[in-house]
Amino acid sequence: MKYQTVKSTLLGALAVLALSSASQAAKYDLSVDYVTIDTGEMKTRGIGYNGSSPGPTLRFREGEEAVINVTNNLDEATSIHWHGLILPYQMDGVPGISFPGIEPGETFTYRIPVSQSGTYWFHSHSGFQEPDGAYGSIIIEPQKREPFKFDREYVVVLKDKHPHSGERILRNLKMMPDYYNRKQRTLGDFFEDVSKNGLGATLSERGDWGSMRMMPTDIEDVQGFVGLINGMSPDQNWTGLFKPDERVRLRFINASAMTYFDVRIPGLEMTVVQADGNNVQPVKVDEFRISVAETYDVIVQPKEDKAYPILAESMGRSGFALATLAPRQGMRAEMPELRTEAPLLTMADMGMSHGDMAGMDHGAMTSVDPSGDDKDAMAGMDHSNMAGMDHSNMDMGEKADPFYAAGSGLIPKAANGGKFLSYADLKAQKPLYAERPATREIELRLTGNMERYSWSINGVKYEDAEPIRLKYGERVRFKFVNETMMTHPMHLHGMWSILDTGKGKWNPVKHTISINPGTTVYSETEVDEPGEWAFHCHLSYHMATGMFRKVIVEGGPTVAELENGK
Amino acid sequence: MPNFKTSFVARLVLSTAIIGTLMTAPVASFASPGHGMENINIGAPGKAADVTRTIKITMEDNFFDMETIEVRADETVKFQIENKGEFVHEFNLGTAAMHANHQKEMMMMMEHGALDADKIHMDKMKMDMGNGMTMEHDDPNSVLLEPGKTAEIIWTFPADTELEFACNVPGHYESGMMGKVRLQS
Repeated sequence: MKYQTVKSTLLGALAVLALSSASQAAKYDLSVDYVTIDTGEMKTRGIGYNGSSPGPTLRFREGEEAVINVTNNLDEATSIHWHGLILPYQMDGVPGISFPGIEPGETFTYRIPVSQSGTYWFHSHSGFQEPDGAYGSIIIEPQKREPFKFDREYVVVLKDKHPHSGERILRNLKMMPDYYNRKQRTLGDFFEDVSKNGLGATLSERGDWGSMRMMPTDIEDVQGFVGLINGMSPDQNWTGLFKPDERVRLRFINASAMTYFDVRIPGLEMTVVQADGNNVQPVKVDEFRISVAETYDVIVQPKEDKAYPILAESMGRSGFALATLAPRQGMRAEMPELRTEAPLLTMADMGMSHGDMAGMDHGAMTSVDPSGDDKDAMAGMDHSNMAGMDHSNMDMGEKADPFYAAGSGLIPKAANGGKFLSYADLKAQKPLYAERPATREIELRLTGNMERYSWSINGVKYEDAEPIRLKYGERVRFKFVNETMMTHPMHLHGMWSILDTGKGKWNPVKHTISINPGTTVYSETEVDEPGEWAFHCHLSYHMATGMFRKVIVEGGPTVAELENGK
Repeated sequence: MPNFKTSFVARLVLSTAIIGTLMTAPVASFASPGHGMENINIGAPGKAADVTRTIKITMEDNFFDMETIEVRADETVKFQIENKGEFVHEFNLGTAAMHANHQKEMMMMMEHGALDADKIHMDKMKMDMGNGMTMEHDDPNSVLLEPGKTAEIIWTFPADTELEFACNVPGHYESGMMGKVRLQS
C-alpha cells in the first residue's frame, strides 16, 4: 500500500514535470502551400499556410519558447517574418538579412523566446507572397492579468485581395503608375473646374500637379481589390457571435498589401486598449484608421439582441470590407451607407518639397506638433492661389489631428460626426522604457518618383544605399520627413519605435508608424537588440521598389558592458 | 487678542465644513439632482456604529480585485479602498445611468487638465466649467484616489436598487473596471 502511494506520488510529480516543460516550449508546424482563394466573386491561386489563406492564428504564451517548423511546399523560396516580435535577428525571417530563406522542400525551425504579449501577425517576406495570401495572426497571452476585461475575443484580419498577382501588379505599375487608379480626373472635371475657378487658376493648379507627376486622386495606387475580413468578402460575411451585454475584444490586424482602412461598427462605441501589441490607456472612439501592418485591439459591448456591421472602408474609398457581430449565425445587419466620395489630396499634402508652387510659403510644411496649439503652419499659405482645391477638409477647428498636414485632404472624420482616433490619443498604459534624451537624430526623407513608380529613402533606393549603422545601447531619434504625396507605414524590425506624440513618458510604443503626406514625424528607438534588421515602408510595392534600408546594430550587450568598464 | 481671532476663524471654517457635509451628503446620496437624475434610492452615507461588515477593495490598473460585491438589503458596510495601481482610480457606488453621466464629467475633468492619468489637480477641480458646476469630487458615494492612496466609505444600502461599483476615469468603465452590487434580501 505504502509503496503504491509513493509510486503514484512519483508519477504525479513526473506528470507535473512533463506538463510544465510542455508549457515552456510551444511547438507548431506550418506548411507553406499553394492555395485557392475564393472570394465568392473570384477564385485565384495564391499562397497560404497549412492549406489556407489566411493562415492559422498562432497562440503563444509570454515567457515560453515558441518552436515553429516551417515547411516550404512551394516551387520557390519562402520565409516568415513575425511582425512586431522581439527576437534574435536570425529568427526574423528576412531573406538576405536575417537568413538565406527557406528553399523548396526545406523545413526551417524558428525558435522564438517569447518576451512580450498582445496581438501580432506573421507573413512572408519573400517576393509578393504576402499580397498573394501568405499571412496569419498571432495572439500572445500575457503572464500578468491584462488591464481590461472581456468575455470573448476575435481576431479581425483585414486584407485587400486583388485579382492580379503581386508580380503582375508591380509590372503594371512600372509600365503605367496610374494603371490601377480608377478615379482619374476627366475632361469633364476640367471644364467644371474652369467654370468654378476660372481658366487661369485651373491651368495653374493642373500644372502644379502635373509637375509633381501626381494627381489629386493618388491616395490608393492599387485599386480594384475586394476587402476581406478573416479571408471572407462582404458577401461571405464573416460573423463573430456574442451574447448581449458581453464585452468582446476585437483584435484588428491590417495585413493588406497597400490599403489603409477606416473602421467603424455603427451602433457601438469602441474602446481602444492596445496598439501594435502594446496596451494603451483606454480611449473611446467611434472610428479609427488602421494603416498597413498596424494592429488595434478594441473592446465593444453590444447590448442589443441584433446584428452589428463591422465596416472597414478604404482610405481612398475605392473598396471596403464588411463583417458582422451577431447573437446568432446567419444574421446580417442593415448595410451602413458607404462614403463613396473619394477624398482628394490638397496642396497641403504636397508639403514644401515642390518649390514651384506659387502662393505657398515653404514654411507651410507641417511638422507634427502634438499639442495641437500651433496653427502657424497655415499662416504662410495664401489661400487665394489655391483655387480649385477641395476646401471641405480645411477644418481648422481645435480638434484637427496634428498628425496630418493642416488642410490635408486625408484628415479623417467619423461617419457619425463623433470621435476619430488620432495618434495623439495613444498613451502607453505602462511605459516600456524610461525617458531619456536621444543620443542622436537620423533624418529619413521619404522620397519617390511616381512617374517611374520607384520609391526611396533620402532619394536613394535600397540597392544603392548604405545600411544605417546604429550602436547597441544608444537611443536614436528618427526624423521622418514625408516628401511624397502618399502615406507610408514605416516598419522597423526587431526593436520598438517610440512614437513622439509629445506625451513624454506616455509616448506609445509601436512597430509601425504611419507618416502622412506633407508631415514630419519623430520616433525614438532604444537600440537594445544586436544584429541586422530591415527597416521599410510596409506598402508592398513601395518596399519592393526601394523604400527600404538595412539597419546594422554594432556591438552588443557584452561590448557595451566592456565599454562601460564593467 | 490675535489668538482669539485665529481660533474664531478656525472654528468658523470648521463649522462651515461640518454644515457643508451635513447639507451636501443627503442630497448627493439621493442621486444628486445636479446630475439631472431621477430620485432613485441608492442608499446613504452610514454611521460607524451601524457597520456590520468591512469590505476591502483593491484597485489596480485598470480593474477591481473583485467582480461583484454581495451585501444584504439595508446593510451598513464599511469599504476600505486602496489604490495599488499607477493610475488614478475611482470607487463609485451608483446606478449604471449615474455612472454613465459621471463618465462625461470625468472626461471633462481630463479635458480641462484637472485630471491626469496618474495625478489629480485639486486646484483645478474648483474651476467653474462655465455652467456653474465645478469638478469637485466630494460626493459621499465615491472616492477618487491617486496611486498609493487609501480611503474609507461607510454606506447604508437600500433594499432593492440595481447598483454597480465602478471607476469612471475615462475609458476604465468601458474596458471593464466595474462590477455589480448584489443586494440580498
